[in-house]
Parts: sequence; C-alpha cells; structure tokens
Amino acid sequence: MELNAINGASTYIIQSQDEEIKRIALELHEGISQNLFSVFTGLEVLQNNMTNPDMASYAQELKDIMSRTIQEVRLLSVELYPTTLTTLGLTAALSSYIKLYTSTFGIIVEIISNGKEKTISEGKSMALFRSCQEALINIAKYADTANAKIVFTWNQDSLTIEIEDIGKGFNIEAVTAGNSCKGIAAMKERMFIAGGNFQLFSTIGKGTKVIFTLPISC
Amino acid sequence: MLLRKVCLVMECNVQLEEALLATCKELQVKVSSDFTGIALQQSNSTDIKWPFVAGNCNEKYKFITVRYGKGIAGKVIATGSPMTIEHFPDNIIGKSIEYPIMLAENLISAYARPIMLNGRPKGAVLIGFRKKYTIQQNADEVIKTLIEKIEDLIKRIYNSN
Ligand SMILES: Nc1ncnc2c1ncn2[C@@H]1O[C@H](COP(=O)(O)OP(=O)(O)OP(=O)(O)O)[C@@H](O)[C@H]1O
Ligand SMILES: [Mg+2]
Repeated sequence: MELNAINGASTYIIQSQDEEIKRIALELHEGISQNLFSVFTGLEVLQNNMTNPDMASYAQELKDIMSRTIQEVRLLSVELYPTTLTTLGLTAALSSYIKLYTSTFGIIVEIISNGKEKTISEGKSMALFRSCQEALINIAKYADTANAKIVFTWNQDSLTIEIEDIGKGFNIEAVTAGNSCKGIAAMKERMFIAGGNFQLFSTIGKGTKVIFTLPISC
Repeated sequence: MLLRKVCLVMECNVQLEEALLATCKELQVKVSSDFTGIALQQSNSTDIKWPFVAGNCNEKYKFITVRYGKGIAGKVIATGSPMTIEHFPDNIIGKSIEYPIMLAENLISAYARPIMLNGRPKGAVLIGFRKKYTIQQNADEVIKTLIEKIEDLIKRIYNSN
C-alpha cells in the first residue's frame, strides 16, 4: 500500500497547492489590480485639478509608486498563474513567460516549434508549464550560460518539449543521491501525474537537457 | 539653430555617459572589485536597467530589467539605504532567483548604495566580488567620493534632457 499512498498524498499536495496558488493569482489579478488601477485614475483626476505645483508633484510621485505597484502585482500574478494558459494556450503562455524570464535573468531563449499546436487540458498544460518554468529557473541558477533553447514537437498524439543549455552541466547521480533535488523531483512527479514522462541528461562542461513527453488526445 | 542645440545636447550627453562609465571603472579598480555596476531608473519609465558596468563576465546585464523592490539594486532603490550581501546565497532575504545580477555575474559578496537625485533614490551602485570578500573600512571614503561624482554626472544628464 505504501507506495500508492505516498504517490496519492503527493498528488493531493501538488494539486491543492496549485489550486491555492491559482486562487491567490486570480485575486491579485482581478481584485487587487483593478482597485489599484481605480486609485491610480483617481489620483490623476485629483492631480489635474491641483493648482498648487508642490501638491501636483506630490501627486505625481504617488502615481509613480502606484504604477510600479500595479506592474509588480501584474508580474507576480502572471508568475503565480498564467491566465493565458487556458485562453491562448501553452505556447503563448510559455512565450510570454520566456519574455519575462529574459528580462529578469538576461538569458536569451531560442524557441523552436515543430508541428501544429493542439489544445490540451488545463491540468496537463499546467504540469508542462510548471515543469518548463522549473527547468528554465535551474538554468538561471546553475548553468552559468547566457543562452538556452526550447523545442516543442507536436505529434499526432503526443507533445515533446526539450529544454537545453550548453552550460556547466552536473553529475546527476551525485546530485540525486543527496536529498536536495526538490525541483527535479517535482518535475518528475508533475509529469507522472499528468500521464507523461520526464527525462534528464547532463554532462559536466557540456550542459543539460530535460525532455518532457506527454500523450495528448484530441 | 534648434537642430544645432539638439546636437550639442546629445554630444554633451555622450560625454557625460562616457564619464559615468569611466567612473564605474575607476570604482572597480580602486576597490579591486570583480564587478561594478550602476543601476538606473530610466528617465521616462519606472524601469530600472544596468546601463554602466565594469568587470562583467557576460552580456546578460544588458537584457536585465531590475524589478522595483527586488534583488539587491531593487531593494536599495526602494529603501534608499545601502545593503550588503556577505555570502550569496546564504542568509539572503527571499530566494536566490530574486537576485538576478548576483546569479548572472556569479557574485558571492556584494555591497550596494543608493544613487540619489534631488533627494530621492534614482539608482544604485553595486560593488561585487566573485569570492567571499569584506570591503575594507578605508574603501568607504573612496566609494563615497565616487558615488558623489556619479550623482553629479547623473544630475547633469537629467538636467540637460
Ligand atoms: N541546468 C542545470 N545546469 C547545471 N546544474 C543544474 C541544472 N539543473 C539542475 N542542476 C543541479 O541539480 C541540482 C538539483 O536541482 P533541483 O531543481 O532539483 O533543486 P534546486 O534548484 O537546487 O532547488 P529547488 O528547485 O528546490 O529550488 C541543483 O542544485 C544543481 O546543482
Ligand atoms: Mg530547481
């Protein structure tokens, strides 16, 4: 019973955590963001009616703080849960994440797409999105490289995503022998829950490659 | 006539920018840091970039937009006070991925101070080391003087725009 119970528990933990994150992200996006925006427009109206230039410039400062806050809340919400995943699809959501990734870490990601994109369930796209995010963040943290590559291959009944860097690389056995590979474990687990497959290759001095494969049915 | 004036302003800005880069390098040499960078809020947006660096080991800084309140430069600009990281990523506030320039340039120790313009933080100077390093007390004076020089140059750029 053990193994199944453990798998069941971690599936439950991952899923309930995802739901909670989604709730917070939507609250940020739809509730808080909208309110902040109302305050921003209100400040603008007040500013335009101010005759005292000192007050007007103070209002401008408040507006600047407000627009930075709106921007931060937006980025935070997108990072937590990309609403575009369900509206525009996996490729669009990942492309926009990659833009944010490049402007955050300075790493340029080449995106290659083969075949025609198909619609996949929210659960599966989320598993892929989170796993890609984890692989890309590992590159920013450890690969010591300025470039990465992501290749989507859409087949009739499966999708493969490869994420590759020509960076430092690492000794997979040595690293997984320790107990500190939560990120790698989570990618494996998410792909398993989604009914897919996860592969990891790395060579010291040559780089790292992860491959996610997921059966898709139309 | 107007065109001539615009050209003069532009030429002047180029010179000021060169002077800023030179000061950034001077700072790097004088405190023997591995990396020195100036993060600045762009004049027509709230974005913060790294327009001037010295000792960089790759070009990632060019693509990085510092997030307000995030990372060493973002925190220094948001609070207006200096910040030190002794041994990245140990004992940092938040996660290592919130410190992109430390990751991008493989920095271990870093020291950052705000750049003030009209009494407000407009940017940050970052002095970084790729091994654990504590800045000597007597470097403080040098850093202070050069930051004042940087502030003066930035003020002149802003005023000419
Ligand atoms: N692209 C990569 N290049 C070089 N080393 C890597 C790469 N990806 C992972 N590693 C190595 O594998 C280790 C485990 O990665 P993993 O994602 O499981 O954990 P982590 O990133 O250290 O922590 P977490 O993901 O839980 O925040 C890392 O500490 C790093 O040494
Ligand atoms: Mg990780």
